[in-house]
Amino acid sequence: MLALQVLINGILLGGLYGLMALGMSLIWGVMNIVNIAHGALIMLGAYLTFWLFTLWGWDPFVSLPVTIALLFVYGYCLQRYLLNLIVRAQLFLTLLITFGVEVVMVNLVRVAWSSDLRQVTPAYAGAHFKVGGITVPYVRLWVFLTTVILSVTFLLILEKTRLGRAIRATSEELRAARLAGIPVAHIYAITFGLGAALAGAAGGLWGMLFPITPIMGGGLTLKSFVVAVLGGLGTMMGAIVGGLVLGIAESFSATYLGPTYPNAISFGLLVLILIVRPTGLVGRRGSA
Amino acid sequence: MALLEARGVTKRFGGLAAVADVSFDLRDGEILGLIGPNGSGKTTLVNVITGAAGYSAGDVLFRGDSLRGLPPYAIGRLGVSRTFQIVKPFRNLTVVENVMVGALFGARGGARVLAAARGLAEEVLDFVALGHRADAPAEGLNVPERKRMELARALAMRPTVLFLDEVMAGLNPSEIDAAVGLIKRIRDRGTTLVVIEHVMKAIRELSDRIMVLFHGEKLTEGTPEEVLTNPEVVSAYLGRRFAEQSRA
Amino acid sequence: MKTRWAPVAAGVVVLAVLAAAPAALSPFLVQFLINLFMLAALAESWNIIGGFTGYASFGNVAFFGVGAYATGILLTRAAWPLALALPAGGAVAMLFAGLIGMPILRLKGHYFAIATLGVAETMREIVYNLEITGAGTGLVMPISRSPIPFFYLMLGILVAATLVNRWLSASRFGYGLIAIREDEDAAAAMGINTPLYKTLAFALSGAFAGLAGGVFADWITFIDPDGVFKVSTTIQMIIMAVFGGMGTVVGPLLGAVVLASISELLSTQLVSLAELFNGLVVILVVLFMPKGLAEFIRKREFSVRQLVRNLREYRV
Repeated sequence: MLALQVLINGILLGGLYGLMALGMSLIWGVMNIVNIAHGALIMLGAYLTFWLFTLWGWDPFVSLPVTIALLFVYGYCLQRYLLNLIVRAQLFLTLLITFGVEVVMVNLVRVAWSSDLRQVTPAYAGAHFKVGGITVPYVRLWVFLTTVILSVTFLLILEKTRLGRAIRATSEELRAARLAGIPVAHIYAITFGLGAALAGAAGGLWGMLFPITPIMGGGLTLKSFVVAVLGGLGTMMGAIVGGLVLGIAESFSATYLGPTYPNAISFGLLVLILIVRPTGLVGRRGSA
Repeated sequence: MALLEARGVTKRFGGLAAVADVSFDLRDGEILGLIGPNGSGKTTLVNVITGAAGYSAGDVLFRGDSLRGLPPYAIGRLGVSRTFQIVKPFRNLTVVENVMVGALFGARGGARVLAAARGLAEEVLDFVALGHRADAPAEGLNVPERKRMELARALAMRPTVLFLDEVMAGLNPSEIDAAVGLIKRIRDRGTTLVVIEHVMKAIRELSDRIMVLFHGEKLTEGTPEEVLTNPEVVSAYLGRRFAEQSRA
Repeated sequence: MKTRWAPVAAGVVVLAVLAAAPAALSPFLVQFLINLFMLAALAESWNIIGGFTGYASFGNVAFFGVGAYATGILLTRAAWPLALALPAGGAVAMLFAGLIGMPILRLKGHYFAIATLGVAETMREIVYNLEITGAGTGLVMPISRSPIPFFYLMLGILVAATLVNRWLSASRFGYGLIAIREDEDAAAAMGINTPLYKTLAFALSGAFAGLAGGVFADWITFIDPDGVFKVSTTIQMIIMAVFGGMGTVVGPLLGAVVLASISELLSTQLVSLAELFNGLVVILVVLFMPKGLAEFIRKREFSVRQLVRNLREYRV
């Protein structure tokens, strides 16, 4: 019975990891930018949700669309007016600049809102229900359902809409996309905006479950990367699968090995995957 | 015993055999031409022999010792070198520095002292008629110069066997003539060569023997006369209809 | 890569002045200089793997921390004198870098960078949880009365690291590393044992970072996981090397001098402001001068036009 509980916990958390990784995977797949500031975007989303809740009493689920919209705009501008300038530079420079963005964001938040721990605690925070011997906190369940809704919505956008097709075209064959008249600078910016929006949503949801601090992003960037690689780069389904795998792995290792090494678990998984099956669990062979 | 013996070399990517059961001997001091249409596996064969790609099957013996499983640097140190079809210059170094790398690390570990390596590099550059560009940044070279630098780098390794992968691509006729002369002089200095080319005139002039690859398999080998008039070879390059037409 | 004697002579003069300096300077200036030497040493050490070999590690602070803790543990738990604990700490860091380098250096590009980040994060976590490292509480070193020995130690490490960089710029091993950076496949084909060379470079880089960490531990007399495995330390060493000119001999040193000085002038109050400054510098440098000061010095021009040209070079 304990095993089942641990599994359920892992799945509930894993959905959130998948949502986080979706944003990173999208940006990586389309623009070949590994966004080290990804965790900072998640952090920003968490803080926005927190302030909307604390200052104006908005329920965190209700304020989520606002957070998503704001992060989208922020991400769009970041790409359009800053990152577009270095898109064709060598890998190291793009990594370095997103590193710089992360440092700036984290420290601005520190200066503005201090390093005090914050938490979003709506009235229903502790409520839970039992099924069989399994305890499920309502918040976790709703967070999971929200991640499913958001992930599916995003996948639909990518697959079925004109915008999604433009994004996929740009990602696969840049020159052809340009020739076909696709405004690449704009599409890149939208892509980053979408990635940031997903990160922000994940942050808002995360803030309902865990404490919020300016430096919460670092480990989350690493986790998102691990999940993206686990699932297989460039495959959105892979991010979701990878998220579930990481969530379950963390849940089991925390229960049976001890809660003190979460990063080591992610990192260990990363190294294992890179050695054994570099294209990830879902990715196709030869498509790394 | 031949200098280099390839036995049943096979390289598969997924279900496709890029190189299928290729065997040949390379005799000391000869120039072996390697021809075949695009995609016939010539570069892949070189990659496998020089350790840049793994074997699916088969082996290659160099002076009787197996090369299979050795990393590229070990094979280079044994005396088997190659040039790359798409040249790979060290962009941030000068021409002579590029060649010095070959001198420092080539056959049997190369020269250990920078000064000696520089001397060797300058000599090689003079040999390939690039001496006047020794201190120029590698980035600024034009196409024929880049090809010659690529060649110089491999030569500075003092190889026993040298694989040249389409060194004449992109050269005009007079540059091709110069290249043919240079390659002959390389052989005269004691290096055994395998030359991959599409320029038939050059291959005919250079090769003691020619080997033809088609869809990864060895189609035939023989003297330039035998091979270049062989209807199967013509058909492989130009299609069966054309071969039938020219026979009729 | 020929020797130019004027800068070398200037360097020796500065060195002589510095070596004579400490007694004459204010305590504040001494502390500032020790910190500067440390950052410059870290930048020079990073340059070995990032600048010369082209493997930009984002986690070298791991070796700084390992060195700090190895030295710290030997000082506190085993009561070794610094003269033994410091080289031992450096050796531990070097060994660690070599061992972890073997699997990690097989990765390329993004994977390598993030993996190195992961190493640093994981080390912090491990140290946080072990008894022998003092876990979350950290280690306390015996207080020493004067910072002067640390001044000389840190300066010595900086000089050694810079000399190693100098050696790399004009040696067979260095040529091998540079070839790996420029084109690893070609380098391998030309006879360079790339896995060995990369690992040696990584180990060398780790050694100096570890030595700096060891001195840091005894100088500051208190270390804890969050203090010695800081991401901001990695950012500083990278941006100083890049700003000065990565892959050059004195670029990282130059970058450290300039950036550390400005940072000191700006940040009298909040640590966050200094880090904010670093982050902004990173962004500006990547946009306007990715090849660093060294490029401007070599071309002998510093024009707005060049800055604009750099800005537009990599855009969409």
